Amino acid sequence: MTDEVLPTSDDLDNIAEQVWSAFLADGHEAVVDGAEPVDLDADLAASVAIVGAFDGHVVVTSSRDGSREVASALFEMSADELSADEVGDALGELANVLGGNVKSMLPAPSTMSLPRIASAAHGHWPGTVELCRTVVAWRGNQFILILLSSRQQDRLERVVA
Amino acid sequence: MKILVADDSRVMRQIVIRTLRQAGFGDHDIIEAPDGVAAHSAIGDERPDLVLSDWNMPGMTGIELLRTVRGSGNDVPFGFVTSECSDEMRQTAEAGGALFLISKPFTVDAFRDQLTNLLG
Repeated sequence: MTDEVLPTSDDLDNIAEQVWSAFLADGHEAVVDGAEPVDLDADLAASVAIVGAFDGHVVVTSSRDGSREVASALFEMSADELSADEVGDALGELANVLGGNVKSMLPAPSTMSLPRIASAAHGHWPGTVELCRTVVAWRGNQFILILLSSRQQDRLERVVA
Repeated sequence: MKILVADDSRVMRQIVIRTLRQAGFGDHDIIEAPDGVAAHSAIGDERPDLVLSDWNMPGMTGIELLRTVRGSGNDVPFGFVTSECSDEMRQTAEAGGALFLISKPFTVDAFRDQLTNLLG
C-alpha cells in the first residue's frame, strides 16, 4: 500500500467543468455530475495512455452525435459540414486536454501518448480497473470521462474491495 | 509581426488562432504548422517573430523543436501551449529557452498576460 493520493470523481468533475467552460462555452450549460447514472449509447472513444510512475488511460466516450457537437463547437462549423476526420480530431483533442489535466494529479514522472480514437465497440482496455469517472451532459448529449489504471496494485485493491 | 502556431491537432490550432484574435492580436500575420518538423521548416523559411508550440507532437515534439532551433543559433521568442503543465515541464521548457508555458484549457486573459509585452 502507498500513501499516494489518486484523482477522484470530484477531481474529474472539476477538470471537466474547466475544460467545458474554457473551450465549449457556447451558451449551452454543461452539467457535470459524477454520481449521475448514465445509459449512454456510446459510439466513439478517445483516449490517451499514461506511462511511468502511473500506468493507465484517460478515456472519453460519447455518441456520434455528441462527438459531432464537440467538433461543431470547436471548429465553429455546423455539425453537418464536418468530416469524420474533423470529428475524430475534436474528440481526440478533448481527450488530450482532459488527460493532460488528469495527468497533473497522478504520480510523476510519466509521459502521455498522443490521443487515439476508436469505435467504442473496439475501445477495450484489458488488464485495467476503473478508478473514477464523471458524466457531462451538454447540448443534449452525454460524455463519460473515465480514469483507468493498469497498475497491479490498483487491480488488486479493487478486487479485494 | 508573424506568429507561427504549431500543433498536430487542426482544431487546437484553430482554437489558438481564435484566442489570439479574441485577445486582440488578430492583426498579426498568423501561420500554421501541423507538426514539429513542419514547424522547424517554417521557422527557417518564414522567419516568424514568435512561435507558439504544442508540446506533444508526432515526429518532433515541441521541446525537441525548441532545442533544435536554439541549437542552430536561432533565438526566436518561443512559448508552449500544452495540455500538460507540471513543474518539471516548466523547468525543462525554461532550461530549453522557452519564454512561457500556457496550459490548456487556457483563457483569453492567459494569452494577453503572456503575449502583450511581446506583441504590443
